[in-house]
Amino acid sequence: MTPENLLVRKFDKVLIANRGEIAVRIQRACHKLGLKTVAVFSDADRTAPHVRYADEAYHIGPPPASESYLRVDRLIEVARQSGADAIHPGYGFLAERAHFAQACYDADLVFIGPPPHAIEAMGDKQVARATVKAAGVPVVPGTEPGLEDDEMIAAAEEMGFPILVKAVAGGGGKGMRPVHRPAELADAIAGARREALASFGDGEVYLEKMIRDARHIEIQLLADAHGNIVHLGERECSLQRRHQKLIEEAPSFVVDEAMRQEMGAVAVAAARAVDYVSAGTIEFLVDRDKKFYFLEMNTRIQVEHPVTELVTGVDIVQEQLRVARGRRLPFTQDDIQMKGWAIECRVNAEDPYSNFLPSTGVISDISLPTGPGIRLDTGVYEGYEVTPYYDSMISKLIAYGETRGEAVLRMRRALEEYSIMGVKTNIPFHQHMLESHRFLSGQFDTRFVEERFSMTDREAENDLEAAICATLVAHRQGQQASQIVAPGSRDTTNWKWYGRWRRMR
Amino acid sequence: MKYITRVNGKEYEIEIDQEEQILVNGEPYAVNFQPLPGGGTLSLLINNRSLEATVDERREAYDVLIHGELYTVQVQDERAYRLAQARGVSLGAGGDTAIRSPMPGLVLDVLVEEGEEVESGEKVVILESMKMENELRASRDGVVLRVLVEKGASVEKDQELVVLGDASAAEEEEEAYEVAA
Repeated sequence: MTPENLLVRKFDKVLIANRGEIAVRIQRACHKLGLKTVAVFSDADRTAPHVRYADEAYHIGPPPASESYLRVDRLIEVARQSGADAIHPGYGFLAERAHFAQACYDADLVFIGPPPHAIEAMGDKQVARATVKAAGVPVVPGTEPGLEDDEMIAAAEEMGFPILVKAVAGGGGKGMRPVHRPAELADAIAGARREALASFGDGEVYLEKMIRDARHIEIQLLADAHGNIVHLGERECSLQRRHQKLIEEAPSFVVDEAMRQEMGAVAVAAARAVDYVSAGTIEFLVDRDKKFYFLEMNTRIQVEHPVTELVTGVDIVQEQLRVARGRRLPFTQDDIQMKGWAIECRVNAEDPYSNFLPSTGVISDISLPTGPGIRLDTGVYEGYEVTPYYDSMISKLIAYGETRGEAVLRMRRALEEYSIMGVKTNIPFHQHMLESHRFLSGQFDTRFVEERFSMTDREAENDLEAAICATLVAHRQGQQASQIVAPGSRDTTNWKWYGRWRRMR
Repeated sequence: MKYITRVNGKEYEIEIDQEEQILVNGEPYAVNFQPLPGGGTLSLLINNRSLEATVDERREAYDVLIHGELYTVQVQDERAYRLAQARGVSLGAGGDTAIRSPMPGLVLDVLVEEGEEVESGEKVVILESMKMENELRASRDGVVLRVLVEKGASVEKDQELVVLGDASAAEEEEEAYEVAA
């Protein structure tokens, strides 16, 4: 039985309403299934990989997302124009906007995701809590939304600190504030309201008790339109900063088979409560006693889906496409076994030595890691400009091993090989983390990166070598002084230009 | 040719006569240096130890990426170094430091006032960009010499927001102001 307002039907051409690595990832799954792909792009993305790899590509507006990737009318229009009969939203942008799923339905387009009512129910934190609670899923104590500031302050005193201020329409850590002392609460509520209003156009916030020493562990689900829901085990996503995940792995250090099946069954129940279809994720907080609480459901494909793909062998995006075409899941719960270990590092244009400040600019040089057990999902290239218009993620580096140890060793090697110039990246953060005892022994929680992890004790190992390199470059440049121009007056650096010039000789 | 090269607070004296044999602080190193065709990457053999590095030239320094770690390296030939010494200026020490906006954005708050003492790592400006609130922090201990933006201002990438300096410099500036007044 197909849920209300969800079109499930065979389709041949998919419009991908997204950009970057996830757009490329979806195209790959489409090509594998013999489906044609339609890309959309803003002025900033004309030469992006997702445009070049697509069968067709359409310009949709200027760089700001609100004038391009968030334009529902433009996207529906491009679908009509191109003859696409389905839309994949990816993650971010419109992926969790019920009105977009509804607009697709109204335009007789297959939305490759859950039905609008499921997005709506799970997108509203309070409705989500109430819905899953009714289905027997444990939730974290908290307040209702719509309270005045003084009512929230009173409720907080009753619950006890620490607490979290969260935006009703929030996600990705935006509009969220931890509060440890009663005196800080009023400011935190104001700050969260301001950020939520700026990001989501809705300043409504509520409070939630903070679970101390909590781990963030989530369950990946796949559901077809015939009522079958299967979980693909857990992902450990505790290593995050300001609620942005940085490193994810599957399986989790603390989850054994019994706990996995218990969490999986609860997750399936939560999804069933909203007639879920497609790929989705139930996020849990797990406390020190391994008690788990429902945090939220992400009604979309997630950034970190590859780690689950590597340990289960399931191509999650392909299954999303198949399910949207009305096919049954090709496996049952009993067929799903986790094998080996996978780790993902999100490579962001951020400077880990300066409080993770975003770094913008042109990628002047890039070389990619390869080799056994390494997967790189990326949407950038040499000459690509990291702009402030979109998020700072450059790529996802994923390592697989028979054991966690093997995955870590492969990841360390790949991080060394991965060279990106022109913008600062958080690769040294990942290297430092993968060398830390706490990471290696699996002893971390969601506060670890922010409160107990520092880059200041990282010793740079190659000072001398770097000095020799730069001096030799300066020396050669000095000898070619007549060819050198001021930085910036040529479209490439003097050093690169020198290399090319030398080759032409 | 002699060079004075600085990286991460360390200083090396590097002498290059022939490229294959260089002296670092008087100690000989056998070096084989091969830029790769097409660009910034180079292969370096130092006493047969093989390293790959990527080099990018910036305003006053070279960025060198080795094994994922970025090194900012300042190179001066001996002549430039002596001239700078004679002028009493040395790279990377003292002087005023501007805190610049790392990206375009909106100033949500300025947390310091002119004349205020700050410690390295202290929050100075809250900047909204990429839909996130970003904390810009003091890069050194010192005194706030100038605050160049106010709350609510839109700023461009690399725009100076706050200038930090030494406490003594702040006093001098104040004295100069008093004299002028």
